[in-house]
Amino acid sequence: MKFKIRPATKEDCKEISRMIMELAVFEKMPDQVKITHEDLERDGFCQNPFFECLVAEVPEEHKSTEGFTVVGYGLYFYNYSTWEGRTVYLEDLYVMPEFRGNGIGKGLLSKVAQVGKKKRCVRLNLSVLDWNAPARDFYIAKGARDLTDSEGWHFIRFDGQNLDNLANEAPED
Amino acid sequence: MASFILRKAEPKDVSDILRLIKELAKFEEMEEKVMLSEKELLEDGFGEHPFYHCLVAEVPKEQSSDDYSVIGFAMYYFTYDPWIGKLLYLEDFYVMQDFRGLGIGSRILKVLSETAVKTRCSAMHFIVAENNTKSIEFYKRKGAADLSLEEGWRLFEIEKQELLKMTAK
Repeated sequence: MKFKIRPATKEDCKEISRMIMELAVFEKMPDQVKITHEDLERDGFCQNPFFECLVAEVPEEHKSTEGFTVVGYGLYFYNYSTWEGRTVYLEDLYVMPEFRGNGIGKGLLSKVAQVGKKKRCVRLNLSVLDWNAPARDFYIAKGARDLTDSEGWHFIRFDGQNLDNLANEAPED
Repeated sequence: MASFILRKAEPKDVSDILRLIKELAKFEEMEEKVMLSEKELLEDGFGEHPFYHCLVAEVPKEQSSDDYSVIGFAMYYFTYDPWIGKLLYLEDFYVMQDFRGLGIGSRILKVLSETAVKTRCSAMHFIVAENNTKSIEFYKRKGAADLSLEEGWRLFEIEKQELLKMTAK
């Protein structure tokens, strides 16, 4: 199946938003999606965007059963390592189920790697849920290492009231 | 009683930042892994599109025995969660041994949290090595959630060699 991978435009944000929700449903956390396509438009297409996105597009004749031609996306941004400098972080990679098996996922991943290479990034990081075996296998086949396994790294988060509490406490000046 | 100030890093601070990065790496027994140069830190932090932001902690020269007045730093940047939007990601956080126990670390965390809230971030994220139980306990006491434990997230990495292989196809 022919497909094209290209940088997302502001107009693609509605489609990206749709697919973000599809991926959240798959990850069993759909009620955790709080932002809309308008937030994506504002945050991804401003002066210093907070993320970049690639989309996978198929020709009209291959559109999905609901009529979509944008069938996959890769959302990423740049991180910084104090040891090595610029790195790229792949936040989301998703291909609609009916379009899998055509190399679209591999295409998106490679394109993100290419963008990272152009920006002089030394590595690409991402996270995978421990029960998502197909995803883990996919990345390991591409040469990824599971750092939680090999080095014991854990993701930590402060949010909501806990973030506010942290901002409010600590000794006075 | 030592006094200190926290301020935004400036271009002139890059050599101190690199020194502190190396000190922290040495403590983690990974000093030889620091490949970054002052030139890269300057370009990447103070160019047109900064890749990171940095806070530095400074003490008056008289209080520092080795002529260093910059004695701590925190490096962070903004990331994006497609479900909740902007996040503040804390990459490195270090205070020189001689200056611990003075509230510098807590104050840095407080300023970062204020920055996160002010810039509409929904959360502050970072990673901790699981054998660093002291840090994990500290963050948990402050209300942090361990997402690797609670939600099963695992951190993966694809290194340059493998990236080049992918882009060559």
